[in-house]
Amino acid sequence: MDELLAQFLIESRELVDQAVDDLLALEKAPHDEKRFDDVFRAFHTLKGGAGIVEFAAMQTALHCAESALAAARTESRPVSAPDIGNCFRCLDQVIEWLDLIESVGAIPADVDPADIVGLFARAAPPVAALEPRAVDDPWVATLLSANAGVAPRARTAIRYAPASDCFFRAEDPLARIAALPGLLAVAVGPRTPWATLDALDPFSCNLTIAALLASSPSEVGAALGAESRYCDVRSLSGRSGARADESLTRKADELLEAQLSLLESAKDAHQHGCIASAGLVAANVLRHVGRSSEADVVATAAAVAIAESRLEPLLEAIGAAARGALSAGAAEPPTARRQDAGQTIRVSSERIDALVRLTGELIVSNNAIGHAVRLAEQEGSSLAVTLKNQHAALNRLVAELQRAVVGMRVLPLSTAFRRFPRLVREMSSELKKPVNLVLDGQDTEADKAIVETLVEPLVHLLRNALDHGIEDAVTRAAAAKPPVATILLRAFREGEHVIVEVTDDGAGIDVAKVKQVAKNRNLVPADDLAGLTDNQALDLIFLPGFSTATTVTELSGRGVGMDAVRTAVGRLGGQVDIRSAVGKGTTVRVTLPFSVLVTQVMTVEAGGQLFGIPLDAIVETMRVERDAIFPVGAAHAIVLRDRTIPLVRLADVLTRRATDQRDDSGPIVIAQLGGDLGAVQVDRIGERMDVILKPLDGLLSGVPGLAGSTLLGDGSVLLVLDLGELVR
Amino acid sequence: MSVHLKSQGVIELSGRCGADDAEVLQHHLLAMSGATVEWSDCEHLHSAVLQVLLVGAPLMRGAPKNAFLATHIAPILARLVKQPLRAGEARVTRAPHVTRTEEDQVP
Repeated sequence: MDELLAQFLIESRELVDQAVDDLLALEKAPHDEKRFDDVFRAFHTLKGGAGIVEFAAMQTALHCAESALAAARTESRPVSAPDIGNCFRCLDQVIEWLDLIESVGAIPADVDPADIVGLFARAAPPVAALEPRAVDDPWVATLLSANAGVAPRARTAIRYAPASDCFFRAEDPLARIAALPGLLAVAVGPRTPWATLDALDPFSCNLTIAALLASSPSEVGAALGAESRYCDVRSLSGRSGARADESLTRKADELLEAQLSLLESAKDAHQHGCIASAGLVAANVLRHVGRSSEADVVATAAAVAIAESRLEPLLEAIGAAARGALSAGAAEPPTARRQDAGQTIRVSSERIDALVRLTGELIVSNNAIGHAVRLAEQEGSSLAVTLKNQHAALNRLVAELQRAVVGMRVLPLSTAFRRFPRLVREMSSELKKPVNLVLDGQDTEADKAIVETLVEPLVHLLRNALDHGIEDAVTRAAAAKPPVATILLRAFREGEHVIVEVTDDGAGIDVAKVKQVAKNRNLVPADDLAGLTDNQALDLIFLPGFSTATTVTELSGRGVGMDAVRTAVGRLGGQVDIRSAVGKGTTVRVTLPFSVLVTQVMTVEAGGQLFGIPLDAIVETMRVERDAIFPVGAAHAIVLRDRTIPLVRLADVLTRRATDQRDDSGPIVIAQLGGDLGAVQVDRIGERMDVILKPLDGLLSGVPGLAGSTLLGDGSVLLVLDLGELVR
Repeated sequence: MSVHLKSQGVIELSGRCGADDAEVLQHHLLAMSGATVEWSDCEHLHSAVLQVLLVGAPLMRGAPKNAFLATHIAPILARLVKQPLRAGEARVTRAPHVTRTEEDQVP
C-alpha cells in the first residue's frame, strides 16, 4: 500500500471516531452550535481526505451527509434525528470501505455510494435549497408583502416553474402545490406573457406558481419530489426565522404552562385521561419545536404517571421542559480536542511490539548477569565488586526501559469506551428502554492489549445490563424509578490493577431464580445449591450454559453468556465479580492487570522442581502445623480464620498421584481460585520476580494448568502455573 | 367531461376538471364573451384549466367545495375580474406573479 493511502487510512479512522463522538454529542445537545461545527468539520475533513486519494464513492457519500448538515444550518434548525441516524450509517459505510482498502491495499473501484445517497435523498431537501442564498429576492419580497398576514409563519418560499410539456407527463403543478404541507399562500402567474385566449395552447404549461409555506424547506423538498428541479426553494428562517422561532418558543412555553396548570388543577391522580392528554400535548409541543429528546422524556413520564396514578413524574418532566432544564445538555463541557497533535508521532504497533520483545530479552539477559555476578562473588573473583556495581546500574536502566516500554503500550480506556455511547443508543432504541450511559474515568490507562481485548466483554456486559438488568418502562414506573435508566461505566486504577465496572440501576439479580435455573439445567448438584451463600449463588451465572433470559432477543441471550466474559477477562489475567441487590441494580466489576508485559511471579518448589505462581493469584503464604491439616473425605482441608479451605499438595497435583505422606509441614500458599480461596502446599517458597511470560507453544500448549514459561537467570526454564486451572 | 353549458352565459365546472376540460372551456369562453363560470361543485381543477381561466378571466360564481381552490385559487381569479381586462396586455406588463393584492406588486 502506498504511503499516502496508509496515511489516509489512519487519519480517516481517527476522523470517523471523532465524527461519531461529535454526532453523539450533537444528538444530546441539538442546539449546540459548537457541537454542530465539530460534526460538520469532521465530515468535511473526511470528504477532503477522500478527494485527495481520489476515492469518489466515499466523497459522494460524505458529501450527502455534509449537505444534510448544511441544510440544517441554512434553515437554522437543529439537525433532525433521522439525519443523525443517516450520518451514522454513512460513517458505518465509510468504515466498511476503509476496512476494504486496508485488506485490498488500494481504493476499491467497484463500490457504490448509491445506498447512502438514497438514504439522504429520501430525507433531504433538493440540492437547490441547500445553497445559501439571499432570501430577499424580489419575488420572495413580493410574495411576503402580498401575504403579510401569514408571512410571519412562513418558513419556506417556493417558486415553481413547471416544464411546458409537464401535462403530457401527467404532472399537474396545481395539484402538486395543493399537496404541499403547511401551505399558507399561493400566487399564480405566467412564465412568459399570456397569449390571448384564442391563441392560448392550454396544454402547454405556462404557469409559475409561487407559494409560502409553514413547513421547512426539507419537508417541502420531499413533497415536491422530482419536480423540485423546477423549483426555487428558499428558506425564510434566516430572515424572519429568529422572530418566528422566538414566538414559537413562547407559544410552546405557554402551552407547556397550560398543561402544568391543567395537571395541577386535576389534583385527582386517577384522572388518567387528563394525564394522558396533558402528556400528549406537551410531548407534541416539544416535538414541534424540535426538542424531541425532551418530548420523549415527557412521554415516558406520562406513561409512568398513568401507571402509578401519580401526577408528580409528569409535572416534573413538563416543568423541567418548560424551564428549558432538559435542553441544558449544552452545558456539558465540550470534548477536549487533541491539541498535542504536533507533539506526537505515529509508530506502528508492530514496531512497539518488537521493542517490547527486545526489552523482554534484555530483562532475561539482565537476570542472567545477576546470576553470573552471584557466581563471581561465591568464587571470590577480584572482578566481583566491579561486576556487582555495573550490574546494579544495568539493573536500574533495564527497569527504567521496561517502564518506558510499558508506558508506550499504554492507551487510555477512552479508546475502548468511545464506541459504547453509540452502541447503547442503538440497543436502547431497539429495546425501547431509555438509558443514559454515564462514562467515568475514561482517562484511566491500561496496556493496549488489555484495552483492545476489553471491548468485547464490555459490550457483552452492557448488553446484559440493558437487556436483562434494566426493567421495561412499566416495571420501572411501578418501582418508582426514574423512567430513564442509568448505566454507569466506570474505570479506575487500583494499585497494579485497572478496574472497570458496569453498574446499572435495574432490577438486580434474583438469587433464588439463579439457583432455580442452575438446578433446572443441572449445572450444579442440587445438594451443593442449598449450601451456597448469595454471593456464591450469583457466581453461578458465570457457569457455561447459564442464561436467565426467558426469551432470546436480538441483543443477548444467544448462548454466549457471562462465562464468555469471564473467559475473555481471565485470558488477560483478570477476574470478574458481580454484586447485585434485588430492585436496586447490578454491578459487574472487571479487575485487570495494568500491563500484560510483565508478570510478577513467586517461585515455589514442589516435587524437586521450581515453578512460578502469578502473584495476582496469591492471597497470602503461611505455615501450618501438621495437625492443623485435617482430612475431609478423601481430601484435606485447613481452617483459616474460621473458614474451611480445601488443601492440595502441589507435588501431588502435578504428578497426579496422591501421597500419603503427611509428614511435611511445608509452607502453604493461599490463593484465589476462581471465586474461592484454596490452599496449595508446596515444598519451599522461593523468591519474587518480574518475568516476561511467554505463552506456551508447540507440545506444551495443550498442557492444562500452565500459564506460560519464562527464562531464569541461569538459563533454565521456569514454568508458571495457572493454579485455578490446575486445582479444578 | 366536467364542463357544461348550464344556461345562457353560464358555464358549469363540476367534479374533477381534468386537462381535457381545458380545451372545451376555452371554446365556451371564446364563444361567449362575458360568460360566468359556476364552480360550486368543482372538486379539482387541473393546471391546464386554470390557465384558461387565468387568461379568459370570466366571472367566477360560487365557492368551490375544494378547500385549496376556495382558499388559494378563488381569490386570484376573483381579482382578475375586479379589474376588467382591457386586453391581455394589462397583465403582460405586470410582474410574473399575480398575487392576491396586485396593488403591492412591483411593476
